[in-house]
Amino acid sequence: MKLMNHLPALTLALPLLAAFATPLIAAVSAKARNRWVTCVSALVTLVVFALLHRVLVHGTQIYVMGAPSWNISLPSGFAIPVRIILEVDAFNALAACAAALAQLAGTIYGLKFVKKFTGLEFYSALFLLLTAGTMGMILTGDLFNFFVFLEISSVASFGLIAFWRDRPESVEASYKYMLVSQLAAQLVLIGLAFIYGRYGVLNMAAFSRAVQPDLISKVVLVFILVALGMKCGAFPMHMWMPDSYAEAPASVTVMLVATSQASLVVLCRFCFSLYGTAIGSAAVPWALIVMGCLSMFGGVSMAVVQHEVKRLMGYHSVSQVGYMLTAFGVGLLALGDAAAMNDYGLAAVSGGLYHMINYILYKGLLFLCAGALYYVAGSRDLDKMGGLARRMPVTSVLFLIAAAAISGLPPFNGFVSKWMIYESVYAVHPILMVVALVSSVLTLASFVKVYQTAFLGPERSQFAAVREVPKSMIAGMAVLAAAILVLSLFPSWTVNTLVRPAAEALVDKASYGAAVMGGAL
Amino acid sequence: MFGSIFSGAGFWDAGAWILAFLSAGGAALFIRRMGRSDYKKGTDQDEIYYSGNVVPDAEIFTVPASSAYWGFREALKSYYSHLTALHCGIATEYVGWFVFTAALILTFVLV
Repeated sequence: MKLMNHLPALTLALPLLAAFATPLIAAVSAKARNRWVTCVSALVTLVVFALLHRVLVHGTQIYVMGAPSWNISLPSGFAIPVRIILEVDAFNALAACAAALAQLAGTIYGLKFVKKFTGLEFYSALFLLLTAGTMGMILTGDLFNFFVFLEISSVASFGLIAFWRDRPESVEASYKYMLVSQLAAQLVLIGLAFIYGRYGVLNMAAFSRAVQPDLISKVVLVFILVALGMKCGAFPMHMWMPDSYAEAPASVTVMLVATSQASLVVLCRFCFSLYGTAIGSAAVPWALIVMGCLSMFGGVSMAVVQHEVKRLMGYHSVSQVGYMLTAFGVGLLALGDAAAMNDYGLAAVSGGLYHMINYILYKGLLFLCAGALYYVAGSRDLDKMGGLARRMPVTSVLFLIAAAAISGLPPFNGFVSKWMIYESVYAVHPILMVVALVSSVLTLASFVKVYQTAFLGPERSQFAAVREVPKSMIAGMAVLAAAILVLSLFPSWTVNTLVRPAAEALVDKASYGAAVMGGAL
Repeated sequence: MFGSIFSGAGFWDAGAWILAFLSAGGAALFIRRMGRSDYKKGTDQDEIYYSGNVVPDAEIFTVPASSAYWGFREALKSYYSHLTALHCGIATEYVGWFVFTAALILTFVLV
């Protein structure tokens, strides 16, 4: 048995099985539990990076769950796949890598961050379950399997957001997220039922071959778009996001960021790889563009007036998702027109995808820095902070890196992805670029505010005894900071080796279908 | 080493920017070295100059985050009154916006 052939299955099986084993290992000792979750997280990261390498070298990988042979998607006599299939191309492998880094950073950071609280065996189990759900959403090639992983990640999120259950605000945030999430899940389920009723398939590749631009398919696409748009925080369905991101422990928030992006990955998969030109009109791309612009400006204008640090960052998440939605909407608009795709469409998709990866990394780091502030100051209110750079020099520098990256300051990675988005959306209408630029300026303004009020200024007497956060928390933040620096310093390698192949895989509907269904159309 | 990205309208090279930052940093350090070197730590030279007055406590001395960009918020008062009203925190309104968006996009796509 060649282990490398089973990497897609291992990506899901490792965190899933480890999640159920965690309460048993936690019964031995807290140290054993910590070592266990750290090892599993590191292993998941290694497996995902090995999978990306394999995809970049050998092309799209498929994995047939439970079959005698892992790579035979269509046994003889079958016209459509009947087993659960994982389909990994350059697009979802790259997204899985960013999510893997987020879960690794969250795991290491959480070792000390939540140490003094009880219920850590369940915290660790739910965290691994959230990892499994997120990876499953990203890697699956089966529609119903996607719904199952969506629910796994949602249920794990509800528990983790309400981890500080003695705080009414945490329980309330979890309840609100549960309410809208379950509504979205119903919409997804109804959509999948429509697909099965209309086409008789649940495999994504088979659906991509069968889909027609008819009424049922359009209704399904709108249901999926709205449900996953809500899950990734699109305006005006974003209200759960600042609540949940603010109330969850910082080590969880970094993973929630990755999970929200898993929804965007699936939304892109539906729009580009499954529907493609079968979308039928420009209504869906324009819906994405309008939602994107509203998210960009609405999110950042709410962020700029916040003084609660994690809430401010939560609103910024809405704004950042807006950049991606706008870019993907522009890419979708160019689909089917080879000249437009070559001119600006692929650049828009690449920009959106690059921004998605950047967003997981720098927003994850920002939330971890906010958690570090809460850890030492005991408050998330910026009004009560000041002069902490002297006491927390490492956190201060790491925050500066992430803030510069999210604000799109050169030479950081956020600049490159935003630049690609600005140039490509300009081709559709200059106003889109203006909205993106103004949002970027306001992003910079609000992070200048955070840095100035939390880290700069005269030292406050109550923080005289404050010391830098523990090494494991710094290590968690350093994982994401290192990734940001790599993407910043090697932009051409990132774009040519990682982003462009991923964008090409996403828009290539024929190849996505052929990997599972074979060459015959 | 760093490579350039070409967009058709321009190019981006991280290495060139880092070189520019290093050059600017070097120039700044050179200018700093040209300055006076008789600064004495722990003397009056080390104190904050507050127009000759006693420096108040940090809480009074600093502009809190909630007061930052006051002018911006005042200028956009009516925009913010609508925007903050939208973020009322009532769970049923979260569901309402979700249903409204679904209906709106469905109408937009189907009609």
